[in-house]
Amino acid sequence: MGPEQLADRYREFQEYVGWTEDDAARVLAIAPLARAQIPALVDDFYEEIERHPNARKVITGGQAQIERLKGTLARWVEELLSGTYDAEYVARRWWVGWRHVEIGLDQAYTNVALSRLRSGLVRAVSQAWQGDAAACELSIRSLNKLLDLDLAIIEDAYQAEYAQRLQRNERLATLGQIAGGVAHELRNPLNVVKTSVYYLLNARNLTPEKKLEHLERIERQVELADKVIQSLSSFARMPIPNLVPFDASALIHETLASAPPPESVSVSIRFDPEFPETLGDPGQLQIVFSNLIRNACDAMPDGGRLEIAGRYEGDCVRIALTDSGVGIPSELLPKILEPLFSTKARGLGLGLAIARSILEKNEGSLQVESIPGTGSTFTVRLKAVTVSEPAR
Amino acid sequence: MIPAGTHRILVVDDDPDICLNLNDILTDRGYQVDVAHNGSSALELVRATPYDVALLDLRMPGMNGLELYREIKKLRAGTVAILVSAYAQGDTTEQALAAGAWRVLSKPLDPAELDRLLCTALDQPHVLVVDDDRDLCANLWELLRERGYRVGMAYDARTATIQIRACRFHVVLIDMKIPNGTGQDVYRAVRHANPEARTLLITGNQCEMAGLVEQVLADGADGVCYKPFDLDELLGKLDRLARARDA
Repeated sequence: MGPEQLADRYREFQEYVGWTEDDAARVLAIAPLARAQIPALVDDFYEEIERHPNARKVITGGQAQIERLKGTLARWVEELLSGTYDAEYVARRWWVGWRHVEIGLDQAYTNVALSRLRSGLVRAVSQAWQGDAAACELSIRSLNKLLDLDLAIIEDAYQAEYAQRLQRNERLATLGQIAGGVAHELRNPLNVVKTSVYYLLNARNLTPEKKLEHLERIERQVELADKVIQSLSSFARMPIPNLVPFDASALIHETLASAPPPESVSVSIRFDPEFPETLGDPGQLQIVFSNLIRNACDAMPDGGRLEIAGRYEGDCVRIALTDSGVGIPSELLPKILEPLFSTKARGLGLGLAIARSILEKNEGSLQVESIPGTGSTFTVRLKAVTVSEPAR
Repeated sequence: MIPAGTHRILVVDDDPDICLNLNDILTDRGYQVDVAHNGSSALELVRATPYDVALLDLRMPGMNGLELYREIKKLRAGTVAILVSAYAQGDTTEQALAAGAWRVLSKPLDPAELDRLLCTALDQPHVLVVDDDRDLCANLWELLRERGYRVGMAYDARTATIQIRACRFHVVLIDMKIPNGTGQDVYRAVRHANPEARTLLITGNQCEMAGLVEQVLADGADGVCYKPFDLDELLGKLDRLARARDA
């Protein structure tokens, strides 16, 4: 958060607790009473930390560090009593929270430590107060508001840092997954290339036919490796779809023709007679259907039935692909649309993730139902071109 | 009789190209190579042929390389397994080694290193343990593998005889009292099929089997160890017999 945003946020909190210039004036008025006790409060603060191993462990620099920290804390209390609560003040408060999470202090300890400091300040002011008790009460209330505001900003910093840390960890985990998937998918072709090269260099009996065979094999595997990179980068930046009306049934037939399922899989296609034109990017949607058909066939290694049914529902169309394959265990259902998740021996685990991502960009959706041992249904929903709303 | 010097290697990988390559490379090095693209066809080959070494891809559709090796070990404990992995995750390597695989290599394979490893593996003396006590066999398998032997196992006289005819063992450990025959039958099978092989009798019952043991020793068996074993003695005798073939 930038200093401006922080200051805005602090002002919002001030409004929330009803902080006014009067509060600032009251704190300033009691400042001399509290200031006398700062060294004692600071000492008490660090003595208490010494008694709590979980708090103590974040101080790794020994006595010298404690002395420095005492100086910082004394300045922090001085600023608290300064009567000036500007953007710079807020930024320094925020930094305190940030620093504490950075050194690994459990957030609860900032709360209880501040509570202890608060008690000390209140005690110091009450004992030294020379006037009427009601006025004392008011001043202490102002001091409490100020401390609560400090605490709110510190907690904000804690949350921001935690969110960042979480994101960093997630990024690292994703990177690990990608590395694993890519390693596997690239090392297989590399394995072929390397062994072919070895053969070409070392074979005792290299015939021209063998030489050609190995060179062609190297070329084929290099192309396979390149496809891995292609599919990763096309997933990373799928272009914005060009939504046009198209014939979904014809697209399915084309997709099946360009990559026919094995003969052991019987395919039936049923579209409602009144099935309308569909709105979407046919080029991208062909990737979706080809991924879904390939998945269905992979789920039926010993053959089976693939039923593709198109239905018209109000302003959208529903195309369901039902296979009679192995099905998906219910505990895996939430994961299978995630990128880099795969149950197969080969592949990056991007097929369904790409399908979902394309459908979302085409203003559609993908839904999965499955009964292990019976089969799965992947349902694609897309916008229909209705009579009242002609093609865009 | 089994021809000397031809070693049989099984290559299993779901990628046909890598199988073709390993076939070319290993055939060129003088090995006899068979190839399978999945676990079940690999097991069919293993049932028919005792392979010296199996080179198994870890990640395959259906049965993976480690599951396949566990099955191979049940059928042919003497087959040395080298598993090949594109990306060994977590404790895959440890699991494979714990299951008895000899090495786990990563892709891309270094064929020169593979060649060296195959030489090392094939240079290990090949021992057949014939005993109907499966626990004892399992223990001896681990113990002897650790000491650099290839170890086959047979739990009765008939399968022992089949194995002795199919494989050139260097030393055969023979329990005298076994199902489907006796230790003497096994000893005779060794003499007949593979006269160069050394034999060590292992017997638990000194009195009952004494006559038979004496007879087989008189026929030319190289020694006897009595159960419960003094392991140092057993290993010492085995080492001497295994080395004797090199001399």
